[in-house]
Amino acid sequence: MFKYQFRWDTVWGSFDFLMAGLQMTLIVSGITLVLAMLAGLVIALLDMSKFPPARWIGVTFGEIIRNTPILVQLLWVYYVLPIVFGVRIESLVALVIGLSLYQGAFISEVYRSGIQSVPRGHSEAAQVLGLTPLQNFVRIVLPQAIRMTLPPLASNFVQLIKFSSLGAVISVSEITRRGMELSATNFRPLETFTFIAVVYFLICWPLAMGIRWWERRLQAQ
Amino acid sequence: MFDGIGFAYALNMAGIPIIVAEGVSKTFGTNQVLTRVSLPVMERDVVCVVGPSGSGKTTLLRCIALLETPSEGRIVMQGTAISTPQQEKPVKAAARAVRSDIGMVFQHFNLWPHMTVLENLIEAPLRVKKLPKDQAVASAETLLAKVGLSDKRDAYPARLSGGQQQRVAIARALAMAPKVLLFDEATSALDPELRREVLLVMRQLAQEGMTMLVVTHEMNFARHVGTRTVFMDRGEIVEEALGSAFFDSPKTERAQRFLQQFED
Ligand SMILES: Nc1ncnc2c1ncn2[C@@H]1O[C@H](COP(=O)(O)OP(=O)(O)OP(=O)(O)O)[C@@H](O)[C@H]1O
Ligand SMILES: [Mg+2]
Repeated sequence: MFKYQFRWDTVWGSFDFLMAGLQMTLIVSGITLVLAMLAGLVIALLDMSKFPPARWIGVTFGEIIRNTPILVQLLWVYYVLPIVFGVRIESLVALVIGLSLYQGAFISEVYRSGIQSVPRGHSEAAQVLGLTPLQNFVRIVLPQAIRMTLPPLASNFVQLIKFSSLGAVISVSEITRRGMELSATNFRPLETFTFIAVVYFLICWPLAMGIRWWERRLQAQ
Repeated sequence: MFDGIGFAYALNMAGIPIIVAEGVSKTFGTNQVLTRVSLPVMERDVVCVVGPSGSGKTTLLRCIALLETPSEGRIVMQGTAISTPQQEKPVKAAARAVRSDIGMVFQHFNLWPHMTVLENLIEAPLRVKKLPKDQAVASAETLLAKVGLSDKRDAYPARLSGGQQQRVAIARALAMAPKVLLFDEATSALDPELRREVLLVMRQLAQEGMTMLVVTHEMNFARHVGTRTVFMDRGEIVEEALGSAFFDSPKTERAQRFLQQFED
């Protein structure tokens, strides 16, 4: 029979070490969310631009990002960008850039569907009343679109928390990386990675539940 | 030379119309929806447009409301072209100048759900007419009283019944003091028991001399409130008559067949 002597004390002993990693995880996710929201805005504006070349750039960029693996993109940013531009980038910077672009490509779609969720009639009513296209967008479309995009943006944050674990591969010392380092010295991968999985779950699950409740409430309105 | 109706009609047409559709055609792709429709609307006219589903009533109204560009013909407001197939610069400028003189009430109300009733009413007066806020609020309150919804001032549209929402939409349109008000089946989306309150407001407006162009399936409203009835079928105006003449003695077979479905 499977007889295993659990040694949780090896994890408790490094609790602070791991929690510092968690802090890094949350910082990376937070900064990335903000940057991804900006990147998403740029991509969405390019996508909806009147100028065909701008549209082409936006669409191509979005398609490439959405249809290649995030891990490959991170490795590309970390190893290839420095060669192309002849500068060394910190692994942390590479992680933030890579994740922001990746998530930005998805967020641009969130914006787009948020805008499209506003019934045409609402802006037609504004148009007939004489509001300019800019007033129409800022006063009628945007406030409604933002409400629709908030829950998906929060979901993106949850995704970012999980994706930031990929930073381990390019040695960003977030919680997963620290787990790898710890298990290499305490030889206790089972306890270490179980603990880390539980930490991720305890953060992501309540968030996901909250978002689901929030979305249902928005839909009910 | 004129029979009774024709004479009155000619008299009524003597002034300058407020708004005219002049030979308006509209094609979507290969689908010709309007074919050279001409319709002048005189001051204080209540023109009711009736006709079977798909006959182009909404499209005509949308052309007049400057929401669609005609493929042929033009829209003229008090002598000035405000919409043409090419939308030339001076035409667009003219359209901007008279934009808020044309009000429209939609089948599905189209109130802005993120604003309260009052905010819906003052939005355009504040931003388009640049009225001072207290003035915009005061006139919005007067209009709300007029449509019987003073107590809903701070409610969000979602809290109102369909009939109440449509009355707010009418008040919102009136807040810009339009010279002509277009109604596209303003009661069709409402439960029968809620239609009356909206029709009453429309009737009151007509009695106060509001110039109205009303697309409707409410034959009683057209008959008793309308000053003129226009019957459309397959993108054309087939028949028009003053007062209730259209209902008492429809001339064309198509109109007779159309009216039959409303008989009990
Ligand atoms: N944006 C559009 N693109 C393509 N076809 C359209 C468009 N708008 C209207 N049509 C077509 O034009 C025709 C006339 O439509 P319209 O809505 O003007 O009719 P209607 O008389 O208002 O009908 P109803 O009584 O059902 O409201 C229909 O066949 C419709 O499918
Ligand atoms: Mg219609």
